[in-house]
Amino acid sequence: MSKKTPKIMIIDDDPDFIEAVSMILKSATYDVASVSSPKLVGEALAREKPDLILLDIMMDSLFDGFSLCNDIKTSPDYAAFHATPIIFVSAVKELTGSRFDLHEEGEGFKGPEAYLDKPVKPKELLKKIEELLPK
Amino acid sequence: MNKNAFKVLIIDDEEAMRDACLQVLRKDGYQSGAASDGPSGLDRARDWKPDVALVDLKMPGMGGLEVLPKLKEIDPDIIPIVITGYATIDAAVEAMKQGAYDFLPKPFSPDQLRLTISRAIEKRAFVLENEKLRREKRLMEENFITMVSHQMRSPLAAVSQYLEALLAGSAGELGEQQRSAIQKSRDRLETSTAMINEWLSMARMNRGDMLARIGSVDLPTLIGELVTFYRQVAEKKQVALALVPQGALPPAAGDRDLLREVFSNLIVNAINYNREGGSVTASIRSEPPSLIVEIRDTGIGIDSQHLPFIFDEFYRVKRTDGVKAEGTGLGLAIVRKIVKLHEGSVSVASTPGQGSTFTVVLPASSG
Repeated sequence: MSKKTPKIMIIDDDPDFIEAVSMILKSATYDVASVSSPKLVGEALAREKPDLILLDIMMDSLFDGFSLCNDIKTSPDYAAFHATPIIFVSAVKELTGSRFDLHEEGEGFKGPEAYLDKPVKPKELLKKIEELLPK
Repeated sequence: MNKNAFKVLIIDDEEAMRDACLQVLRKDGYQSGAASDGPSGLDRARDWKPDVALVDLKMPGMGGLEVLPKLKEIDPDIIPIVITGYATIDAAVEAMKQGAYDFLPKPFSPDQLRLTISRAIEKRAFVLENEKLRREKRLMEENFITMVSHQMRSPLAAVSQYLEALLAGSAGELGEQQRSAIQKSRDRLETSTAMINEWLSMARMNRGDMLARIGSVDLPTLIGELVTFYRQVAEKKQVALALVPQGALPPAAGDRDLLREVFSNLIVNAINYNREGGSVTASIRSEPPSLIVEIRDTGIGIDSQHLPFIFDEFYRVKRTDGVKAEGTGLGLAIVRKIVKLHEGSVSVASTPGQGSTFTVVLPASSG
């Protein structure tokens, strides 16, 4: 029996980014869902039950992506998604001047599984997704 | 001005003097306190954080001239006034040298005290206000820079993302002409994004941050890593890249990340503006108290008319060999800015057709 197609959720406030990345993911035969406001994330996750999340770091406020990632990984509201891999995506490598390091989980902050620069290179994106999704 | 908001500390061994001053100051509405010798005055300054300190020059034990610099250590913006029984020019000059803002010759009248204190308070208010404005401006700048970076990069990133999707064939196979046009568009966008990034990182660099980041940097290690890293790029252009080995050298005083940016810019330039079969040679030597790094290339060289301007933002030398210039036009401007922040210097010597040598002088680390 074949496994069901993995579903990837894109969380980003830029609809063009969502559309462009959806094109890449769909042509690689992934299912895609998206949400463009951090406020609607809870609902969308519960409805779509994605296998992996692409998350923009800088949405409405500077650190939305960070806190949202931490919430998804730790908050009881997102209990079903604590183990769902998250890939950070952002055009901003350096936030407020300080380079941040994925491997440093300072002050109890739960970070993402991977990080990609915007615009994401399709090959890199698909490779990362393959690595992160359990076979 | 709200006098109540300001604190005046009196450090004097004469009890009568302390009491008289306290009385006048309290009557005028200042918060005031007193200490009877230098050490306890400094303790008080640390805990109570006064705005103005009246310090007697002549005290047993620690004298006023000793107290003054220590007060400045506690709060560099404190306004010290010295009280002196022997109002000689010499004593006053010496006190001013130690950071005193003003002095009161003994004996002085309550009005003299009031006048001097109110001038000092005005000065303090001015200094504090100034500091506050500077801080606000810096915050605004930082925030502004972050916002601008987000606003400018986001649309470019979205456009690039579509182009990446098209190039990956996500919307169907592309013809050769389509592919080439899209590729070129993507490359131009990448340059534009790189330019914004570099411009912003330059806007962010300032002297205060720099001083906080100064450490000891081993230049042979740093440059050796870069030479290894860029060797492949150089080989692709058939350029030999090497670091001349040298004996033990003292470390440079600087920030490792920023200096890496300096030398990677210079090395990449030396590779890009080279010719097939050419070479790029890095060398480091010590000339106390400085360290001198030379990046020598055998490239196309720079015409002397351009030399005075090549470190300016967006200044581009038109290439005469028909090769399209790469890069953002900011690389050398960033080099110069970083080197200046290190209190070093960068210069260039060049012979067209033979090559250029960029020389960076950096202070050696004393620690």
